[in-house]
Amino acid sequence: MESEQNPIFEECARVTHHDALAAQQFVLRLSAPECARHAKAGNFLHLQCDPQRALRRPFSIMRCDPAAGWVEVLYKIVGQGSAELAARKSGDMLQCLGPVGNTFRVHENTTHPLLLGGGVGIPPMIFLAETLRGNPGLHPLAILGSEIPFPFPTRPSKILAPDVPKEVIAAMPLLDDWGIASRLTSLQGYPGCFHGYVHELAERWFLNLDHAAQKGVQVFACGPNRMLEAVSEFCRRHALPCQVCLEEYMACAVGGCAGCVVPYRENNRMVAMKRVCVDGPVFNAASIF
Amino acid sequence: MSDDHRFKVEFCGLQLSSPLVLLSGCVGFGEEYTRIQGFSNRDVGAICLKGTTLEPRLGNAPHRLAETTDGMLNAIGLQNPGVEAVVQEILPSLDFSQTRFIANVSGSTVEEYREVTRRFDDSPIDAIEINISCPNVKEGGVAFGNDPEMSARVVEACRAVTQKPLITKLSPNQTDIRHNAKRCIEAGSDAFAVINTVMGMAIDVETRQPVLHNNQGGLSGPAIKPIALLKVHEVYQVCKPHKIPIIGQGGIVHTNDAIEFLIAGATAVGIGTGLFYDPLCCQKITRGMAEYLDNTGLSHVNAVTGSLEMHTDATEYT
Repeated sequence: MESEQNPIFEECARVTHHDALAAQQFVLRLSAPECARHAKAGNFLHLQCDPQRALRRPFSIMRCDPAAGWVEVLYKIVGQGSAELAARKSGDMLQCLGPVGNTFRVHENTTHPLLLGGGVGIPPMIFLAETLRGNPGLHPLAILGSEIPFPFPTRPSKILAPDVPKEVIAAMPLLDDWGIASRLTSLQGYPGCFHGYVHELAERWFLNLDHAAQKGVQVFACGPNRMLEAVSEFCRRHALPCQVCLEEYMACAVGGCAGCVVPYRENNRMVAMKRVCVDGPVFNAASIF
Repeated sequence: MSDDHRFKVEFCGLQLSSPLVLLSGCVGFGEEYTRIQGFSNRDVGAICLKGTTLEPRLGNAPHRLAETTDGMLNAIGLQNPGVEAVVQEILPSLDFSQTRFIANVSGSTVEEYREVTRRFDDSPIDAIEINISCPNVKEGGVAFGNDPEMSARVVEACRAVTQKPLITKLSPNQTDIRHNAKRCIEAGSDAFAVINTVMGMAIDVETRQPVLHNNQGGLSGPAIKPIALLKVHEVYQVCKPHKIPIIGQGGIVHTNDAIEFLIAGATAVGIGTGLFYDPLCCQKITRGMAEYLDNTGLSHVNAVTGSLEMHTDATEYT
């Protein structure tokens, strides 16, 4: 993967919607026209949760509408910063730096993009899915996992996914509406969900594909590191190209402080410390895990 | 560059268009922030590049950052590509017409400081900052900076190989910063940067481990501003007779922070963590300083430097 030198905008963004969901999850929509106009799947926003805080917080962009000028993120309260963000109401203003980071790259020979999202790693998969919709040459499948209630109402999918066990039918309605097959996984026994992890359902799906389809699979993943490690291992076993979207504590978000690095490997040897903010957040899985 | 003549300052031979200086470790190698629309290197008088060693360094394992009350800890560990790559590949890409660029020299031995300085001496860099106060490396850094005699040895070694302005970055983690400053002046330092970060730790109560993989790190941000102001005031007392200028730094986020440092004795003021609060803060601070000069009737920012009026009737009641 390469870093991308696109312009970054500092905007005073207005909160237009802020919806509280189950398990302290929130969807925040901001009016930030420049960020919305330039955002691509994989990019993130660096949001000032409170003016007194030294560090902003990075949030993957879930959706954007360049024409309407809004960007949307999904987050869960995990600390003081996100708790302060959760207190922001419609009409509030907050400083927003973005869009930051590189983007997912779909290879030319990809026919079956496999999008894997775990927990708060779901948002960039939704953004990527939106960019794939309506492409007749692609047959994407999104597998989303969560151990807390999903941040959207689930429903049985209207889209056939013949290589997924037929009892696994729960889907994300938005993706269904876009014509993109999705399936859900959880260990919590939610109806219609696969009982297991995203990489386990992914492997079952992959093994059911015919050989030609298998050759067109490219994997994109975002979620907790343990999930990404498992996904990377699955991809290594089957020699699948895989891009992972990472998160790390971050200060400047423009590559100036080298605070957000991740060890980067080539041929199983650590050769560099890459900055998640500008060298990523999207990396080839084999270089990280 | 700033067109307001009231902000032009002379700093150990360097003509700065503004007293604002972007600090080493916060702005990479000088061009990273320019991707932000509205940000310009022209808005500051100088930029201190990332700490540079003789050989490339990968730095510390993550996590390297931890947010703290009114500040943050970092333990980057001097990640850099080595002086040769900086001189050959990075310096040619910098636009020296926009601002002054200052190299930040680090090392594990006196010899390494000297060799890195020697390499920068044969480069277009405008000045050299000697980092004897990095708290995040096992050898060198603050281990030198906390010992006045070792500090002087490093400065002396660097002085011997360059005529470029030498700025010594002083550590707050020492008993008497004034004595250290005095020894560094005797060894040939042309200026000081006061202060580097304050050593600290953050602990994760769940894991009972330090948040930083390096266990400890350097505290920056408004939390250290009172410490930094006192240190600048103390070093200024040593520097004033020698006309040695100071970059005052430590927790500057807003205009008044910068002005406080000037009053304490700084000729220039450094912005580091402040950029993380607001990447466009330099323009705001500059506007605020202009208003301050207007309101106070002072004709130049130099008139603010060292204008502190101490209480002379301080009384201890027993």
